[in-house]
Amino acid sequence: MPPKRRSSGIAPKSGQSTLAFHGASNKVTKPGTRAQNTKKNIVADPVAESPKADVVEIDATVGSEPTTTEASLLDQTEKEIVAQQAASTPEEDEARRITDARINKYWTAKEKARKAPRVHQNGLSLHEKILQEWDMSGQYGPCTGIARLKRWKRAQRLGLTPPIEVLAVLLKEQDSENDSLSVQRSLVDELLNY
Amino acid sequence: MTSPDGNLLQGAPFQDSPYLPSRNASSYNPLHTFDLPKGTEKHYGQQYADMYFLRLAQLKEAIKRQAEEAWKDFELAGEKATMVDRVLDVRQGDLCWIIGTVYMEMALKPNVLDDIAKEHWIAAPPVRQTYMSSSGQDEMMLEDESGRLRITGESLNSHYVTGCVLAALGTEQADGCFQVIATQYADLPRQPQRWERDDSALAVLGKKNKPVTPKRGSAGKLAIVSGLEITGTDDDDLALDLLVQFLTGELGAHPEQSRSGKITRLIIAGNSLSSSSPILSREDFVNSKRDKGGKQQFGYHTSSYNASPAERLDALLTDILPSLPITLIPGASDPANVALPQQALHPALFPQSRQYANPPVKSNESREGLDSVTNPWEGDIDGWRLLGTGGQTVDDLLKYVDEVEEMDVLEMMLRWRSIAPTAPDTLWCYPFQDDDPLILRDCPHIYFAGNQSKFERRVIQGPADQKVLLLSIPKFRETKTLVVVDMETLEVETVEIGVVQPPTPE
Repeated sequence: MPPKRRSSGIAPKSGQSTLAFHGASNKVTKPGTRAQNTKKNIVADPVAESPKADVVEIDATVGSEPTTTEASLLDQTEKEIVAQQAASTPEEDEARRITDARINKYWTAKEKARKAPRVHQNGLSLHEKILQEWDMSGQYGPCTGIARLKRWKRAQRLGLTPPIEVLAVLLKEQDSENDSLSVQRSLVDELLNY
Repeated sequence: MTSPDGNLLQGAPFQDSPYLPSRNASSYNPLHTFDLPKGTEKHYGQQYADMYFLRLAQLKEAIKRQAEEAWKDFELAGEKATMVDRVLDVRQGDLCWIIGTVYMEMALKPNVLDDIAKEHWIAAPPVRQTYMSSSGQDEMMLEDESGRLRITGESLNSHYVTGCVLAALGTEQADGCFQVIATQYADLPRQPQRWERDDSALAVLGKKNKPVTPKRGSAGKLAIVSGLEITGTDDDDLALDLLVQFLTGELGAHPEQSRSGKITRLIIAGNSLSSSSPILSREDFVNSKRDKGGKQQFGYHTSSYNASPAERLDALLTDILPSLPITLIPGASDPANVALPQQALHPALFPQSRQYANPPVKSNESREGLDSVTNPWEGDIDGWRLLGTGGQTVDDLLKYVDEVEEMDVLEMMLRWRSIAPTAPDTLWCYPFQDDDPLILRDCPHIYFAGNQSKFERRVIQGPADQKVLLLSIPKFRETKTLVVVDMETLEVETVEIGVVQPPTPE
C-alpha cells in the first residue's frame, strides 16, 4: 500500500529556512543592461532610478561587452604586458631607450621617401601616423585580428626586421595609459570588423 | 609416474611450462606540436590570411637558398635570372624568379553558396570526388603579400595544389600571365638523428658528468592499423576479435606468438568509429521525418544515441591494453573536432580503457598505456621520429590532381614541407596566428597516412641524405590488413587477417 498522505493540508512548521525566488538579493539580471531611455523609464520616478544608476558600471557608456575580436585583442595585449613584466627582451630594452628625436627623424625620412605629402592626416598625432604606417606595411603580415604589439613581436620572431622605432612608439603609448584597445587595434581592423 | 621430488604437478603427464613469450617495452617520447590551447584560450577572431603569411614567411628563406643554388648559373638567351621580391613587380620580358604560395582557382571547389542553398532546403549538390573541372577552366596563381599572379607552363603539369610554397623561374608575357620554365620547392628539412631528443634530454640532465648514452636493447616492432570503422553491430566482430587475439598472442602456436610478441606498440591511425555524430545529419533528419510518418524529432534525443560503437571500441582497447601500449589518433569519422588539427579523443569516451591512461589533469601524455593524441601527430618511437595523419590531408589533396598516386602525394607533401597544404582552402583548419605547426620543421624518419585504399611503402631521399619511409595504411574494415614495421631495420611487413569460408559441401 502506498504511504498514507496527510489530508489535513496544514504543513508542519520545520526549522529550515525557505528559498526565496524574488527580492533584491536574488536578482539575476545585471542592472543597466536595458536602455535607459525607454518610455517606461521616463514615466517612472526619476528619484527611484538614481540609486540604480549608481550601481551601473562605467562601461555602460561604451555599450555592451566587448565583441569577440576586441576580446581576443585585449587578451593578446594582456598576455604581452604580462610577458614584459616577467622578462623584458633586448629589443624592448633598446626600444625604451629610443628618444623622441630619433622617432621624429625616422618619420621625416619616411616622408621624404614619398614624392607627394600624405593626405588626410591633419588631425593625427605623430605616434598615430607612425602606427598607421606600420599597419599598412604588408610585408609584416595582415594587420586585422592581431594587436599591433603582437604583430611586431611576430615579425621580429620571423626575422623580418620590423623597425625598432615602431616598438618604441608602442611601448610609449602603452606606458602613457591611453585606452589600450584603441592603440593596439589597427584602424583597418576597426573598419572591417565593427 | 612420480617425479623425483614428489611434486605431483610435474613430470609426465604434465608437460613443461608453456612457452610464454614476453614483450619488451617500447621507448616512446611524444611531441605536442599540434595541441591547441583549451577552452577560451582558443581565439577564432583572426583570419586565415595570417596562416598564409606565416607559411610564406617561414619557408621563404629555405626556398630562396634552394632556388639560388639551382638557378645561379641559369642563362636563357644571354640573360641571367634575378630574384624579384614582390610577385607583382615582375616586368614583361625580364627573366626572373619569384617566391609565392600557389592558389588554384577551380570552379568545382566547395563554395559557401552551397551552404546557403542547403539552408533554403534545396538539395545540396553531392560531395564532389574531384575538384578538377573537365573543361580546363582551372587556373593556377602565385600569391604573396602584394597580390596574385597568374602562371602557366608545361612544367607545372597540374601537380601543384593550393597552399604549397614555390619558387618559379620564368618571364611575364604580354597578356599578364607568367610563363614558368622551372620550379623549385623547399625540399626536405633537417632530419634529426635517431635518439637525438632522448640523448639531448639526458645531456641536459647530466650536465656535470660526461653524457653517457644508455645501452639500449634492440627495438621491437610497431604495428599500425587504421580504419577499424566500428559500427557496434555484429558484422565486424570476427575480424576485430581475430585482430585482438593476434596482438595479444592468443592466436596460433609458437611461431605466431613469438612474431606478435615482438610487436611493442600499436598505433591506431584514425577512423576507429564509423560515424561520429549522434545528432542526425540533415539528410537523415529528412528521411526520419518521412519514415516516422511526419513525427519530427527536433534536436538530440538521448533515446536515439547509440553508444554501442564507442563501447565496442572501448572493449577492444581494454582487451589489447594490458599487454600492448596504444597510440590513438582520431580520424575524419571519429568524434573529435572537424577542423585540423583534430584534438585528442576525450577520455570520457573510454570509461574502461582510460584506466590505462594518465588523466588529462595530471599529464598530457601517457607513455605506457593508452595515449590519445592529435591528428596529425608527431613523436619519437624507439628513437625514430614519426609523423602520421588520419588521411584527410591526402584525400583532400587527391581531389586537386589527376592520376597521382598516394605515395606521390605523401612524398610531395614532405618536399613542400607542408603537412596539410590544402588547409585552410578546402580542408577545415584552426586559424593559426603565431606559428603554423602544419609546416614541417624536422624531417621524420617514418611518415604514414591512414585510411588509404591500399598498402604501399616507399623510401625517399633528401638533398642532405635524409631517408624517409613513407607508408600508406589501408582501411582495416575493407582490407583486414595490419602493417608491422621493424623498428631496428625499418623493414615493413603486413599481416592480413582473413576469414576463410569452408567450401560448401556439394
